Amino acid sequence: MFAFSAMHLVHAADDAPNYDGQIAPLLKAHCVKCHGPAKKEGMLNLSTSIGIAHGGEDGAVVVPHDLEASRMWQQVQSDEMPPESPLPDEQKKLLQRWILSGAPGLSPAPTNNETDGHWAFRPLNDIAVPKAHHSDGLINEIDSFIQAALESRNLSANSEANKQTLIRRLSLDVTGLPPTSSEIENFLSDTSSAAYSGIVDHFLASPQFGVRFGKGWLDAVGYADSNGYFNADSDRPLAYRYRDYVVRSINQDKPFDRFIIEQIAGDEVARFVPGQAITPETIELLEATHFLRNGQDGSGESDGNPDEVRADRYYALESVMQNTSSALLGLTVQCAKCHDHKFEPITQNDYYRWQAIFYPTFHIEKWVKPNDRFVYAPLREEQEHWERHKQIEQAIVAEMRSELADWVKTHRVGGEVLFEDRFDLDSARVADQWSATAPEDDSPGGSVVVKLDSESLPAAKLNDGKLLVIEGGTQGDSWLSTKTKFDWTPDKLGEAIQVTFDLVDNKLPDGQAAQRIGYFIALHDFDDNSPISGGNLLIDGNPTAGTSVHLDYPGPDSRSLGTLGTTGYTPGQNYGVRVTNIDNEKYRIEQLVNSFPDEKPIEVKKEDLPDGGFGFEYCCGRSFIVDNVLIERIESSPKEDSTAEFKKRQKELANALKRQKEQAEKRPGKIAWGGDMAPELPVVHLLARGNYSDRAEIVEPGTFSALKDPSHPFDLTERHSSLQSSGRRLAWAKWVTRRDSKAAALLARVQVNRLWQHYFGRGIVTTPDNFGISGAPPSHPELLDWLASELIRNDWSMKAIHRKILLSATYRRSGQLHDETYKIDPNNRLLWRFTPRRLDAEAIRDQMLAVSGELRFTLDGPYVPTKRLESGEVVAAEDSVASHRRSLYLNQKRTQVVSFLNIFDAPSIVFNSVRRNTSTMSLQSLALLNSDFAVKRSKAAASRLQAETLDVHNRLKLAFQLFYCREPSDNELTESARFLDEQTKHYSESPEALDHAWQELLQAMMASSEFLYVQ
Amino acid sequence: MNIQDKNHSRLLRRAFLSQYAGSLGGLALAHLLQQGDRAAQAQEISQKVIRGKAKSVICLFQHGGPSQMDLFDPKPELTKWNGKPYPGGNLEVHFDKQMGNVLGSPFGFQKHGQCGMELCELLPYTAKIVDDITMVRSMTTESVDHESALRLIHTGRFLAGMPVMGSWVVYALGTENANLPAYVVLGDPGGLPVDGERNWSSGWLPAVHQGTMFRSGKSPVLHLETPQGVIEPARRNQLKFVEELNRRFLNQHPESTELAARIENFETAAKMQTTVPEILDLSTETESTRELYGLNRPETKEYGTRCLLARRLVEQGVRFVQIFLNGQPWDTHSKNAESLKGLCAKTDQPSAALVQDLKQRGLLDSTIVLWTGEFGRLPVSQGTDGRDHNRHAFSLWIAGGGFRQGYTHGATDEFGYKSVENIVTVHDLQATLLESLGIDHRQLTYPHDGRDASLTDAEVTKARVIRELLL
Repeated sequence: MFAFSAMHLVHAADDAPNYDGQIAPLLKAHCVKCHGPAKKEGMLNLSTSIGIAHGGEDGAVVVPHDLEASRMWQQVQSDEMPPESPLPDEQKKLLQRWILSGAPGLSPAPTNNETDGHWAFRPLNDIAVPKAHHSDGLINEIDSFIQAALESRNLSANSEANKQTLIRRLSLDVTGLPPTSSEIENFLSDTSSAAYSGIVDHFLASPQFGVRFGKGWLDAVGYADSNGYFNADSDRPLAYRYRDYVVRSINQDKPFDRFIIEQIAGDEVARFVPGQAITPETIELLEATHFLRNGQDGSGESDGNPDEVRADRYYALESVMQNTSSALLGLTVQCAKCHDHKFEPITQNDYYRWQAIFYPTFHIEKWVKPNDRFVYAPLREEQEHWERHKQIEQAIVAEMRSELADWVKTHRVGGEVLFEDRFDLDSARVADQWSATAPEDDSPGGSVVVKLDSESLPAAKLNDGKLLVIEGGTQGDSWLSTKTKFDWTPDKLGEAIQVTFDLVDNKLPDGQAAQRIGYFIALHDFDDNSPISGGNLLIDGNPTAGTSVHLDYPGPDSRSLGTLGTTGYTPGQNYGVRVTNIDNEKYRIEQLVNSFPDEKPIEVKKEDLPDGGFGFEYCCGRSFIVDNVLIERIESSPKEDSTAEFKKRQKELANALKRQKEQAEKRPGKIAWGGDMAPELPVVHLLARGNYSDRAEIVEPGTFSALKDPSHPFDLTERHSSLQSSGRRLAWAKWVTRRDSKAAALLARVQVNRLWQHYFGRGIVTTPDNFGISGAPPSHPELLDWLASELIRNDWSMKAIHRKILLSATYRRSGQLHDETYKIDPNNRLLWRFTPRRLDAEAIRDQMLAVSGELRFTLDGPYVPTKRLESGEVVAAEDSVASHRRSLYLNQKRTQVVSFLNIFDAPSIVFNSVRRNTSTMSLQSLALLNSDFAVKRSKAAASRLQAETLDVHNRLKLAFQLFYCREPSDNELTESARFLDEQTKHYSESPEALDHAWQELLQAMMASSEFLYVQ
Repeated sequence: MNIQDKNHSRLLRRAFLSQYAGSLGGLALAHLLQQGDRAAQAQEISQKVIRGKAKSVICLFQHGGPSQMDLFDPKPELTKWNGKPYPGGNLEVHFDKQMGNVLGSPFGFQKHGQCGMELCELLPYTAKIVDDITMVRSMTTESVDHESALRLIHTGRFLAGMPVMGSWVVYALGTENANLPAYVVLGDPGGLPVDGERNWSSGWLPAVHQGTMFRSGKSPVLHLETPQGVIEPARRNQLKFVEELNRRFLNQHPESTELAARIENFETAAKMQTTVPEILDLSTETESTRELYGLNRPETKEYGTRCLLARRLVEQGVRFVQIFLNGQPWDTHSKNAESLKGLCAKTDQPSAALVQDLKQRGLLDSTIVLWTGEFGRLPVSQGTDGRDHNRHAFSLWIAGGGFRQGYTHGATDEFGYKSVENIVTVHDLQATLLESLGIDHRQLTYPHDGRDASLTDAEVTKARVIRELLL
């Protein structure tokens, strides 16, 4: 859209209209929808110069120099075409001039000549660096290209910016942080000719360089710390290892071809087999493959019918394709999922052939959910160290357990045994002591009654000396009661009755864990027709928290008595309750854990505890196994209370268990990776209209026909015999990075363009996400190709290109405005000056932390958590200094972007992001004025200044240096000092008036445009 | 702003426009002007929307999928077949294992108004506005998954991350009151709706176009409150100081409209700090208005308050207002009938009151009120007393903004399972809403992912304006 007018500027000097820059966009806008690679109406494809030269079913459409014979002109002139909206006169004239001047750029005849076709799909040719007439002030090749375009418009460029401006621009652009005072001083005092290249190298060597450009790459490939897709947006706790791999690789200046191969096929490069001996190199290669998993993947939370589940899986597969094509090749392929691409030479067949490359990793039929896609790849010493420690912890726990059991045996409080069942008889004898009916009740408990003598459910069965409480599905409540009734309200003060049992397991051997372990005391009446009320007191044991207690359960008049105890019900322990007479009217119920009272007893009234049985509750899929039911009467409270000692021992055991669990969880080497998830090679079909259930012909792995290159074929036969995976990804990664190939040319163009965009605010191609026919053409095509070639020539060293750009005079220009030049090129398409540019969200936040002196420079490790406050604001909680780390390390949760960053246009990652908007809105002003983040930073900055120096003028000078990298003018000094005075007066009632004034001054500077922009 | 500043700003705007002239479609103008002169922008916009009747939209969104056959679309056949196996062939069922027999509506339907529109007994207040609304009984969508269906009706795509209609509308038309966000979301104090902030996300449209959620409580907009301990005269002085800093910087780059806009943004921000709380202060409303919205009754008070706020916002020139519910209350998988009673008791009166109130203030012609969920429900039961999702049919109503009055559009089959007559897709709905705002849905585009993307993507979705719905 913008590029069109840019091309006017670049090429207007040359009278003949240019094909790539002017004619192709015109045809694209008005003709290609019907006469393009997809529709080809009249057998005519106007999307490429070959297609135009080839003509349609009625023959030639453009004959150079001959308007009469050019059907295209005839139809356009008579407004026959385009059928709906005729071309404006200006565009008609352009077409006319182009044909009259011989239709330059039009291929003479369809050939395989490498200069044919869409500019981005051509291989790189040797580009001659243009010779400028005025070479003063030019530093390297970049400047020659830029100068040539400027000279063609008779424009001249700005001279170099001053050193203060340059160092701030450099530092923020290269590291995302402002320069330190010593960096500024060293640079300013170094008057040698090497000062500038020295500081460039200094910043490029900083580890913060990797953080800065790591973010750019991670956005381009769609990195996030969450799975997205569904509302849950579940966590990706191990993604950070890939993030750290990226930062490390960029800092090492890993050759870019290698960087790509590792991410797409690191496992295949390593010839990784789970369980093999692991080297640090293998680990790095496996971490790299998380690249494949950056897309949204909701398959971990999928529910619904099989069609929906399949669609959720395909989405993950399609996401990796979309991210890869966009980040690497600047192509949008997803339209070809349903039909041949309307604007691009990408067929539906291309799409599914390419899908076959990634399909083994996302095998739809052998699906692995995202959080199960990990592998343990520890170094040997890590593994041994861990196992040793695990064994030690296990031994400690076992010993403490047996000690505690012995201790309980001798110290537990017991009494006269009223009832005991060890369940050692055969199953037919359950009915000796138990019944489905409560003592003296007139009907059994439950609409579907517990069976004591058959296999049908719900059932009570004896097995291996234990009682199995087997629930029968959702048939409502029922119970199993003792035949005997007990007096639950002992008459004497201090007297008690208690019931205990072993919880052997909370599930049947093949079943689900029970959500509750429920049992009753005072069980006497199921259907509420007894003259006696109360009773049926349900102790509804919770696995992990306090126990709910209900009286008179079940039935509509059932009521809750609150929560009893705090310890959960876990298998292998002994549980129960003790009922103690505390004042003849009220009774205390305590939960017993291993025969000792738990915290939080409750009290019940005497009338609520009629005589009745003890029993187990049958409900809603809660089956469990118990043993050793014991009911005892205790004459009076024990004299020597060992409860405190028990609790101490129990706590020690709990701590040991916790340590053991933590140790087990520390299993080293866990990597979320992206290898082939099934050993079988899949059969991949083209899906008709993109419909997941409409399989058409089988397709073989392959790649885009538009990038087909006879001298650099896509070759699967190179697959190494020891490889356990399909080898498809490795073959494709090698294909896309093969020097001199069309694919590598596109790959290199896309990457250098993104760098250019980073440094100049706009790419040579302004659509970094679209290098296709429908994208914008390059403003400086030769420069783009030269830079791409330079990248490959330097063995894919990205730092070499960074350096080339940063050392150029073009990058160093001042931002000064020249009215005459501005009139001709107001948007600075020709780069005659440096356009002031707002910093991106991360640089703004990081810079605020840097100047306040709070920034943590730590690299690596799990993300810093963020949270959504009640106000809706998403923040990194300030209670941890980790919240002062660089923005890259904050949780990149798709649905929870940190508000401060979001307000300054940090995207929520859906697919990927290669270009950001720069918005200017009031919400930004509000955040700078009122957010807790801004207030805290300015306060910290104020204390930092206070600590460094005491004199107001020097402190102000330091503030200007920290915030703006320059000296304040005299006027600014006076104004700032006056502001401090005024604010101090406003706050005169506060003892901290001066501190407040300083904080508000620095906050104002943080909110100022000069702070938020590089110039 | 003094005269000199005004001239400067106008000059900037002219320079700005000349930079883009010829290379941009008219509709993106509002977006670009965000960075320029607001007053001029409003003028440009008002010229643009002359074609459309409507200037603003209030969307009362009903999360979960309201049951059409129990509310808007009477089906005597269901009552006849109640409790028997569904006789109409295969059904697409989301929770396929829990499908039961035909479930007739337990509610009575009656004709209302001059138009004789039939409504269920749970909607006595909506019954009073039938002569003002268009009822669409033949809606369809493409997904039975809540989140996907939400995205379809809000963004036209089932994938996450696309811009919602509200964002498209404010991208196209901008705002008429620079002191308020153009797109305001009135969230439920009980919590976020399903799919959360995505319901008002600007996706890949510039972030400035995303819905601004007004929360209940003291700080309805993020960072609206001056930090504790800051006193007013000091703040004013600080703003003056920021402006001085920013003017000095602008003087070095006088051509930058962005830097000029940044200065203006601080003024707007300060104004927002007073205007927003003013709007939220309902004490100026009369007792009869408060009663109309049901502010005097506990079941309608909360929803009524938000409906009343919506009217106040539109009055102040806010372009797009959306009211959401907590979670997805209309998702009646069990206890369908019982849940509907509660939901209607909460929403019926305030929704109708909004239409009546707009009408009596002469605002209904220029304001679209849209009442809709993301899909409908099935004619058979889920379990014993619930209804499962249905993408083949749902009902909605629209009032004002050039939509027909007392008109019922389309019909479903005899069981209410599928829309069969005059089908309206969610894409058609979007195209028609844009049309009534004076926007050609095929021309409202933004460059994304290598193409000129649009809300309706008519090439693929075949979205079309449903003329019959419009006056």
